[in-house]
Parts: sequence; structure tokens; C-alpha cells
Amino acid sequence: MKSSLDVYFKSAGSHKILTREQEVDLAKRIEAGDKIAKNIMIESNLKLAISIAKKYARYGGSLEDLIQESNIGLIKAVEKFDWRKGFKFSTYASWWIKQAVTRSLTKNSSQVKIPSHTLSNARKVWKVQKEYRENFGCEPTEAEIGEILGLSVKHVRQAFSGIKAKYAKSIDERVGEEGNKTFGDTLPDENAKSIDIILDNQKIRKVIVSSLSSLTKREELVLRMRFGISETDEEDKNIYDVKE
Amino acid sequence: MPMPKGFKSENGYSTKKTLGGKSYHEISSLMSEKGYKMNHSTARNVFVSSLEKIARDVVKLYDIAADEKSINRISKDPRFQDAIVSFMREISHEKE
Repeated sequence: MKSSLDVYFKSAGSHKILTREQEVDLAKRIEAGDKIAKNIMIESNLKLAISIAKKYARYGGSLEDLIQESNIGLIKAVEKFDWRKGFKFSTYASWWIKQAVTRSLTKNSSQVKIPSHTLSNARKVWKVQKEYRENFGCEPTEAEIGEILGLSVKHVRQAFSGIKAKYAKSIDERVGEEGNKTFGDTLPDENAKSIDIILDNQKIRKVIVSSLSSLTKREELVLRMRFGISETDEEDKNIYDVKE
Repeated sequence: MPMPKGFKSENGYSTKKTLGGKSYHEISSLMSEKGYKMNHSTARNVFVSSLEKIARDVVKLYDIAADEKSINRISKDPRFQDAIVSFMREISHEKE
């Protein structure tokens, strides 16, 4: 049985590639507001959108989503294409398609929304850091990075925050082969006591409770007074089940 | 050659302040009011002997061979007293 994606590929492949003359003719009609011409232009270039989406599929995101995004880029390219410049439509459209796909990848690659210019700065900062380390054997300061890239220290700091935020993980993200656990389930609780300690405490507590009940009332009162447990008005209560 | 005088406990001592309770003098007068006539030394002896009773049972739990001297040392150890006071507080809170 064919998947919906196969059907889509087949239908996209059924459209013939346009000649330069046909492109110019269609572009003129689109300019005049012809919706049929716009559809023909889009449908004839669906294969281009698919091929670009496929290239970016390895960076994450489902192929279906990426094809959707690249189609949005294609539509934008059709709307903005200027036939007078003399370029082939595919040359112009591929920039719009790539931009749409990379925007979508940037938007969905992190749990936290980071502005694309911050991410772009982050990539540059990363590159500068790497090169600086290789050349000088130490980390560059924020001011040095800023000077090299022509950015203010504030923007360098934002880029660093962007890098950190990009790798932020949701605590509710499903992990494991079966996906029956969340990421939060795998994190150790540093405040939790180990089961050995809990069992040990329970045993000691049992022993202490029985020891306390073997004390006389006189002994229990002295212990409580010395330890500051329960004030005088409550001292007559038999908390530890001592012998009266 | 001068030598240090007296005995110094390895782990220090519990005081009224660290335990958050009353002094032996205060305990003795309160106990006397309640009909358990005692002076401050008796109050201390009763306190230590009660802790020794608990220490004996705890030592049994861990199968530690301990003589009376060790039991006495354990009962005076502030770490032991701290542990006992926290258990007693826990039990007391639960009963409340």
C-alpha cells in the first residue's frame, strides 16, 4: 500500500518542468492577477520544493512538515518573482524555499523560542570561540568576541543565552525505546533518601519506640525536658507509652 | 613536662543550648514540683541512664558487642543524642 507521501510525490512529479518562456508568460499573468497561472507555476515547481525539503530532513523534523514549509516558501517566491530580472524561477525560488525550511527548523528545534538573528549570532560566536581556542589555546572574553564579530557585549551575551536555551530539554519529553518514561522520571532526586537508609531508619525507630516505652515516667519526663520536647502543659500526656 | 589535664570527649558535649531543652537545675526543680524529688546531679544521672537504656537496644539491633563503658560513651555522644531527639520529636509530632 502506498503512503500518502508517495501519492503526493507521484502527483508532484506528474507536472512538467516549465521552459523559460513559459515561466515568463506565467509570471506576467500572475502579475495581472491570474490565479490559474499562479497555481500552474506552483504545481510545476513542487518537485523543487520537495528536493530542498529532503535535504533538510536530516536536521530534524518530519519530511511532511518540511515539505509543507517549503511549499509556503515556494508560494511566496511565486508571488514575489520578477521576470524582468532575467533569472530562472528556480534560482529565485530556491532561496525562499530554503529560508522557509530553515526558519521552520529553527522554530521547532528548541523548546524555547529563540529569535533567528540571535541563533545566527550564536552560530557565529560558536565559530569564533572554536577558532580562538585553536589559535591561542584559551577562551576569548565576551568583549573580544564582540570586537571580532562587530557585536556589542550585550548581543554576545544574548547569543550565549541562545546557545544554552537551544539545548533546553522539556522535563515531560518521552524517552526510552517504548517511550513510557518522561525525561523527568530519569532525573535523580538528590534530596531523596536511599531505600537502605529508609529501611534502616524504620528499624531504628521501632527499636527506639520500644526502648522509650520501657522507660519509667520519671525518666521519660527528664528526657523530654532535656530535649525540649512538648511544653509543661503537655508533659502529662503519655506520648511514648511509658510505664506509669 | 606539663600534660593536658582532664578528659575531653572526642565528639564534644551536648548542652542545653544545642539540645534546645532545659538545664539540669531547671529539670530538677520542675521534677521536684511534679513530685519526683531530685537534685541536678540526679537529673543528669536519670538522663544518662535513660539514654543508656536506648543505646543498649540500638547496639543490639546492629549486633555490636559493647560493654557498659561503650554504652555509657555512646549515650553521652552528642551525635547519638541528636539522633534520639529527632526520633522523639518525630514521634511526638505524629501523636499530636
